[in-house]
This record gives sequence, C-alpha cells and structure tokens, in this order.
Amino acid sequence: MNPRFSRRTGLTAALAGPLALAACGRHTVDPPKSVTQDQIDEAMRTPTELNFWTWVPDIEKEVALFQDAYPAISVDIVNAGQGNPHYAKLRTALRAGNGAPDVAQLEFQMIPSFVITEDLLDLGPYGAAAIGDQFVEFAWSQVSGPNGEVWAIPQDTGPMGMLYREDIFQAHGIEVPATWDDFAAAAQRLHEADPEVYLTNFAPSQGAFFAAMLWQAGADPFGGSEGPDLNVDLTSPEAEKVARYWGELSEQDLISVDADFNDQWYQALNKGKYATWIAPAWAPTFLQSAAASTSGLWRVAPLPQWEAGQAVSSNWGGSTSAVMATTRNPIAAAVFAQFINTDPQSTATMANEQFLYPPTKALLEDPAFTGQQLEFYGGQEVNGLFAEIGTTVAPDFQWAPFQDKVYADFTATVGTGVAEKTDAFAAMEAWQARIEEYAKYQGFTVRKP
Amino acid sequence: MTATTQTRNRQEGPRPSTPTARKLRRGRALAGYMFVAPFMIVFLLMFLVPLLYAAYFSLFREQLVGGNVFVGLENYTRAFGDEQLWTGIARVCLFFLIQVPIMLVAALAFALALDTGLVRLKRTTRLGIFVPYAVPGVIATLMWGFLYGPDFGPFAQLAEKIGMSAPDFLGPDLMLGSLANIVFWEFTGYNMVILFAALRSVPTEIYEAAAVDGAGQWRIAWSIKIPALKGALAVCMIFSIIGAFQLFNEPQLMQSLAPTVIDAAYTPNLYAYNLAFVGQEYNYAAAVSFVLGLVILVGSYAFMFATNRRSRR
Amino acid sequence: MTTTAIKPRRHKPKRSTVLTIGMLAAAAYFLLPLFWLVVASSKTSEDLFSTFGLWFSDEFNLFANIKLTLTQDDGVFLKWLWNTLLYAVTAAGGGALLAALAGYGFSKYRFKGNRTMFLIVLGAVMVPTTALAIPTYLVFSEIGLADTPWAIILPSLVNPFGLLLMRVYVEAAVPDSLLEAARIDGASELRIFFQVVLRLLAPGFATVLLFALVHTWNNYFLPLIMLNDPELYPITVGLARWQGQAAAAGGASGDLVPLVITGSLLSIIPLVIAFLFLQRYWQSGLVAGAVKQ
Repeated sequence: MNPRFSRRTGLTAALAGPLALAACGRHTVDPPKSVTQDQIDEAMRTPTELNFWTWVPDIEKEVALFQDAYPAISVDIVNAGQGNPHYAKLRTALRAGNGAPDVAQLEFQMIPSFVITEDLLDLGPYGAAAIGDQFVEFAWSQVSGPNGEVWAIPQDTGPMGMLYREDIFQAHGIEVPATWDDFAAAAQRLHEADPEVYLTNFAPSQGAFFAAMLWQAGADPFGGSEGPDLNVDLTSPEAEKVARYWGELSEQDLISVDADFNDQWYQALNKGKYATWIAPAWAPTFLQSAAASTSGLWRVAPLPQWEAGQAVSSNWGGSTSAVMATTRNPIAAAVFAQFINTDPQSTATMANEQFLYPPTKALLEDPAFTGQQLEFYGGQEVNGLFAEIGTTVAPDFQWAPFQDKVYADFTATVGTGVAEKTDAFAAMEAWQARIEEYAKYQGFTVRKP
Repeated sequence: MTATTQTRNRQEGPRPSTPTARKLRRGRALAGYMFVAPFMIVFLLMFLVPLLYAAYFSLFREQLVGGNVFVGLENYTRAFGDEQLWTGIARVCLFFLIQVPIMLVAALAFALALDTGLVRLKRTTRLGIFVPYAVPGVIATLMWGFLYGPDFGPFAQLAEKIGMSAPDFLGPDLMLGSLANIVFWEFTGYNMVILFAALRSVPTEIYEAAAVDGAGQWRIAWSIKIPALKGALAVCMIFSIIGAFQLFNEPQLMQSLAPTVIDAAYTPNLYAYNLAFVGQEYNYAAAVSFVLGLVILVGSYAFMFATNRRSRR
Repeated sequence: MTTTAIKPRRHKPKRSTVLTIGMLAAAAYFLLPLFWLVVASSKTSEDLFSTFGLWFSDEFNLFANIKLTLTQDDGVFLKWLWNTLLYAVTAAGGGALLAALAGYGFSKYRFKGNRTMFLIVLGAVMVPTTALAIPTYLVFSEIGLADTPWAIILPSLVNPFGLLLMRVYVEAAVPDSLLEAARIDGASELRIFFQVVLRLLAPGFATVLLFALVHTWNNYFLPLIMLNDPELYPITVGLARWQGQAAAAGGASGDLVPLVITGSLLSIIPLVIAFLFLQRYWQSGLVAGAVKQ
C-alpha cells in the first residue's frame, strides 16, 4: 500500500526481534591485551571526532586544553541532561547501537550498572592501568574491576563531612559533635531549645546519603558481588545500627524529614531550619549559591564518628569519565578520558573554576588549592579539611549493578519508614526483600552472606 | 447536532443506482481516501509502527543477566496479577471521579457564562482562564509545588500569620486533591474553549427565537445550549478519561517534593515509566502500557455506550 | 423558571455584575501561579529563597535576570526558543491541515475502512507512550530520524484530538447542500475543500492549530529521548537541563535557579501572544456568519 514503507528493508529486519536489532546495529570494541605507544601516537595524529556527554558546565575549557595537546582530535560536547535523564538517554542510545557518545560522564555508583550491560570499555590496556597511583585510593578502587579492569577515570569526588551553622550552635551552647552519640544529644538539646530548628534533615529520597552512612559504618551490602553473583546484605549489624540510629532520631522528632534539592529545602537552608547539613566536599560551593543569604554563618567539621577517637569517612557523589564499548575511536576516547582528569592544568581548572572536588593527589596536596579561604565559611580552609577527610574514606564499598533501582527502593522502604517514624529495621528488611526479588527477576544469583 | 442527524439521514438514504451514480460514488470514495491519506500515512509511520513494535517487544523478557527470551504473554499475565499496577489504576479511577466532573462542570459554566454576553471584561477573563493551558505541565507543577510548600509556601505563611496551620497539601491525605487541582488549573480553560467554540457554532437564531418567546438565560442554557453541546462534551470527556488515566507529568514532578507520598507506582503511567527507566524492565513496561491502554479503551467505550443509550431513549 | 413573565428583550443583554465578579474571581485563581512566576522572576537567587513568595522584594531584578537568561551559554536560550518556534509552527500548521483534510474525509465521504481507520486512530491514543520511548527510539533510529528535527516534527503532525475535533466541526459546520451545489457547478473535490470548506472550518482550524501549537511547544519527553544535539533542543528540554544543573547534587552549580524561572516566564510569553492573536480569530463575525446557513 505504501511503497515507501515496504522499501525499508532495514526496518523489516529490525522487526525480526529486539535482539536482532540490538545485534545488527551494535558494534563493540574487542578490548586488546595491550596497546603500544606507536598505536596511540598514530591514533592521536589521525583526525578524529569524539563525542562527549557531560553535564559539567563550561567543560569547554578542559576540552580546549586537550585539543591544544592533540589538534587532530576534535571533541563534540553534549549536555544530555543531568543524572537520571542523562542515563535514560545513554541507555537508549547504547541499545540502538548508534547515537551513543564515545565518552560519557558517569557517577561512581552507576559504573557497575553499565558494566553489567557490557557498555563500558576497559581502559587498562590504553594506559590507564598505570595511572592509578595519581588518584586517592578510594576513588580509584571505585573505578576498578575485580580483575584489574579500569572502567572509568575519576573526575571528582565527595568525601563526607558536616557543614554546620556556627551561629546556631553558639546561640544554644552546642559543641560540634565528634561522635554520633554527641550528635544525637545535640539534636535533643537544640530541638528543646528551639522547636523550629532541627539539628539536621534526613531526606527520605536521598539514597546516596544513606549509602554514605552505611559506607562509613562499615556496611558493604553488595560487597563481593561479581557478575551474575550478587551479594545483598542490608540487614547486617552495621546496617542495622545506621537504620536504627536515624529511625530513632526521627521517631523522637529530633530531626526533620524534608525532601531535599527542591524549593522548600532551599528556603529552609536560608531560613535556618537546619543547623547542619551532613554533606560531601562538593556541598560547600553548592551551599554558597543555594543559601547565599547565610554567608559567613557556616563552618565545616569532619563527619561524626561511631567510636570516639576514630576518623572514618565515606563518599557521596562525584563522577568519572567512562568510554563506551560502542566507540569507534577507542584509543582517542581513552586518551581523552585520561587527559582531562589527569592533566595538571585541566584538573586545576575543574577544581578552581567548576568547583568539582578533585580526586587527584597532586591537587589535594597543592597548598594553592587546600589553602583557599572561603568567606562563606568565615575564612575557613574548607578544601584543606576535605582533603584530610578524603584520606579517611574507607576504600571498600561496592555498588549494586542496578544502583538506581536500589535507590528507588530505598525511598519506598527505609526513606519512607524513617519519615513516617515506623520501625526502621523492618524497613531495611523490606528493602532487602525488594532488591532480592528484583535481582532474581533480572537473572542474578542472589547470595546473602 | 441537528446538522449531524441530517447528514446521517442523507447519507444512509436510498440512492439511485444508475451506472453514473455508481461511478460517481467510486470517485467520491477515492476522494475520501485522498483526504485521509496524508494523515493516515504519517499516523502509520510515526505512531502505529512504533506502537506495533512495542507490542512485539512486550512479548520478550530481557534480563540484565541471561539475555533475551521470548516469553509470549507472560508479561501480560504478570501485569494482570500485579498489585502495584492495579492500586495505581484504582487511584487514577478515584482521581478521575473527583477531578473530571468538577473540571467539566466548571468549564461548562464558564463557557455558558461567557456565551451569554452578560460578563464584562469578557476577553480578559476568557484569556485569564485559558492561559494556564499555555503553561507547560512542568512549569505548572513547579509553580503549584511552590504554592503548596508546607513551611515556606505562601499559603502556609499566610495561615501562620493569622495563627492557623495551613492544610498539608503535600501530605498523603491531600496529595491526590492537590494533583487534581493542578490538572484542573491546567485544563479547565482548554475544555472551556472547546465548549465555547462549540456554542459559537450553534445558530444564534435559535436563542433569539427562544428569547423572543420569553425564555430566560437559564432556560436557554439548559434547554438549548447544553443539549447542543452534547457532542463537544463527549469529546472533552473522552480526552479527560485518557488524560486522567495517563496522568504522569504532575505526579512525577511532585515526587521530588513528597517522595514518601508519591511512590514509583503512584499512577500506572508513572509505574510503567519507572519500570522502563529505573528498573530497566523495558519489556514489562511495554506490556503495562498496553494493559493500561486497554483499560482506557474499555473505560471510554463504556462511557460512549452509556451515553449513546441514554441519548437514544 | 418556566413562569418567567414575557419581557421585551433588547438585542444586547444587560451586563451582570454578579457574573462578572464571579468570572473575575475565577480568572484570579487561574492567574495566581503566574503572578508568582512574575514575582519570582524579579528576584535574585538570594531573595528567591529568603523573601515572601507572593510579593516583590526590595531589589527588582527582572531585567537583569532576563539579560542573564538570554546570554547564558552564549545565548543558547534564543536558539532553543527559535527551535521551539520552528517545531511548533511547522508541526501545528501541518498537523492542523492534515487533521482538517482527514476530518473532512472521514465525515463527508463513504469509503471502505472509514470507520475502522478512525477507530484505530482513537484506539492508538489510549496507549500511553511514555514508557515506550525505547522501542520508539529504536524504530526512529532505524529510519534515520533520531537526533533530527524530523523526530519532533513528524510525530507531532499526528494529532488525533485535532482529527476528532475536525470531524465534529465538519459535521456541524459544512452542510451537504453546499457541497452538492459546488459539485453541480463542476468544482473538483480538492477545489471544493480548499475554496469552500476550509473557510467554513476556520474556527475549528484555529482551535486545532492552537492546541497543536501548545502541544508541540510543551513537548518534553519525545525531544528528550530523540535529540542528542543541544543545538536542536526545544525550550522545555533546555530548561530542564538548566534545572538539573541548578540542583546538581554532586557537582558545581551556577546561580541557575533564577534562570530556570525567568526562562519559564519567557517561554510562556510567545504562546500567550499566539492565544491573543488566534482568539480574535474565533471572534470574527465572519466565522459566525459562515456557520449559520
């Protein structure tokens, strides 16, 4: 009836099956054992166009540095959205087998989710295996596979600390809490003194925050998972301790349970509803613009500890640059991912102009970076403090191969449980059950250590 | 409506069956195809082909581990037994029962009021009511979300000033109503314009004759205008059914304000979206979409059947 | 009500104050959130989060915000605005024409499959397409449409609601006698449509055009999935991108919140202008005269 349609043999082939479509359109790189310097040099002299998806604003600056170094390579920057929209598009384009970028920004927790679908290229053979010692240990372990693969190059990190309102603390004679017990006592004291103010806010949909809490407490729920074998342990004693702690604070109404990163939350930060924000190294800059009216009132301290005298932190957020397995230019893409995240000028630009908290030891030891005094924090050397904290982040913490689903289930179970003041440990069990069920449906073999 | 029945009668009436008439009719049929062809071709390529492909897609199950297998109707049996899906469907049913009648009655009232010519500043008010339709759902939800704010929203702050506490618009009890309000805000003007335009196409002689006979505005509205709007109202109704059951943008955006109230399966469409984009269960998400389409189809058909029977009596 | 005494009615009915006040109150409700948007657009990000939301703050920053919005990322906002305009106008114009042709065809011609095709179109609307983005993308990508403006324009040409509305309009507004008369005069079917029918359909056409315009203007999910190149983004996707950046947990964020709000305000204005313009269109006595036969 419609000749234009029947001529589309490609489409007919496509209709043969979803798998056929994925197979016929999709080309992936066969990772070589090793790549010689000659091969790299040749590739970097060949005119090539790279496509890079990132949501880092003004990344053009770093890309320009790369293009100065390798004039043959041109890089097309695409901002495909931030967070979930970015991943939705990336997954769609990867399935279609065309339209996917060569290099994409991936947050640390999403790496295993793209490894399981075989969408990432191991950068080890392309020189990345040798650059691990340039990065802080925990950041490098997050991008490393169990067999020495390098799935991505760290771009920025978020070691956890505590941002607090010095004025509120002083007004009520509260000491900066060093342990979680102190923190709970301070919460009680503050709330009794001023019922309008809470020591902190527990955002019920912020799975990333809760993961950081688990991480600090030594719970590693997905630790030891490999490929189709998935460990899920959200009811370990460490995890239980964290859940009960926040559950009890909420039950006694000592903390607020507002959703974060929305208008109400910004207002609350500006109007002093929360006396602390337990937050990572990227938070100080974020707060400067989100709560501009409170300039000078904030200070930063290390994360409260489970045991007095300890110094253990964890990480929330931060991103990497990963090369997609579908790339046609593996060498150029791999060199690019390494360049922007290791070149001294490029990393310095990221840290000082885009305010991404750096993962490279060079910058974290550079007084020009660590010694910056931020007016918003009363002249405190915030970067330096986080650099110290960064060395205390436990290196062992593994993400699930479907971390976005894990976070969604967190909100539905534990987040809601804490917010509605129901039994937090029962909520952990529900979380565990949901993940197990989903994992089995997705074909994983689930083990509970 | 009178025009419609006339048309029908004329079409279905006996026709002379001379050869020229037959030839003429064939020519007419060809012209008919010619008129609908551009629309249908684009529809086929841009709408139906992806839809059919998605239907085919829904017969598979692709796992993160273990690849892709043909599973026949398994996704559909799962959907029919999926409690989360049916809770969501029940919720949008409730939403539909609350929101749509209020919205259509308001739209009808506004359209009739404007049509009487009794309102001053007619253009201004009409534009004022209609303008929210021009606002993207994303922005509409952003704005209402701000107004609803439990601590710092203006309603809450005003209530605090007079020493009362504002209702918790984003709490579990009021959320559905708050969403209904956003949809009401967005689409009442749209429905009003459809009804208003339909009113305009009713010959004014009929009103004038009625007015001369001494009928008041109420009587004219009730006995002449509303019956004349039956067709347009049915159109509004069908699209409201679809809109309510496919509710997505508003709850999805409100989720960031009230994540513990709006879960991943709050509405069936949101559920399908989350299955596809959070859980990567693309095949099952497709099946859920078709089950929802079926529910909407049945609902719309039931509505049309009911109104047709009533109007025939 | 039936007992109302016979009273002489003037040609123009008397204005009713009660009704006017009621309608103005309704309009106030519908304009309230937009008022917030205007107020919010006039604030610095600092005031935005620290002053009462429904009134202006001391510092009137609207023009500075507009300037920031228009110059951010080398003026990409204007590019998005232009794209949106292009997509919306082509899709709405084409879509309204296709709907008018098809609505007329379905209403006035008897041919095999008439009813079936019409029902398939209506049935297809029932299936929500949000979750079907992936299969849709796979098909579009296969025909080579993904990441082109056609991926936005072509699907938007299909406007089932427009079709339905047009069919209703044709039935109400196009008398068969007129068509017969034109045929007797020897006019071809196409000529009848373009010279006689289209004029009668003007109010319906304007309505469908407007609805299609709004629909394409507000289209978010389709362009989000289909387009990779930011140069092709429409305003909705662009604003969402800024919004995402503004709330970037895990990275740097500029003072983008005021830009999102001001950008929202700016993106609504062209539509409001279109409304004003097309509204006058329905008003015109020409239309009313044509509908009466």
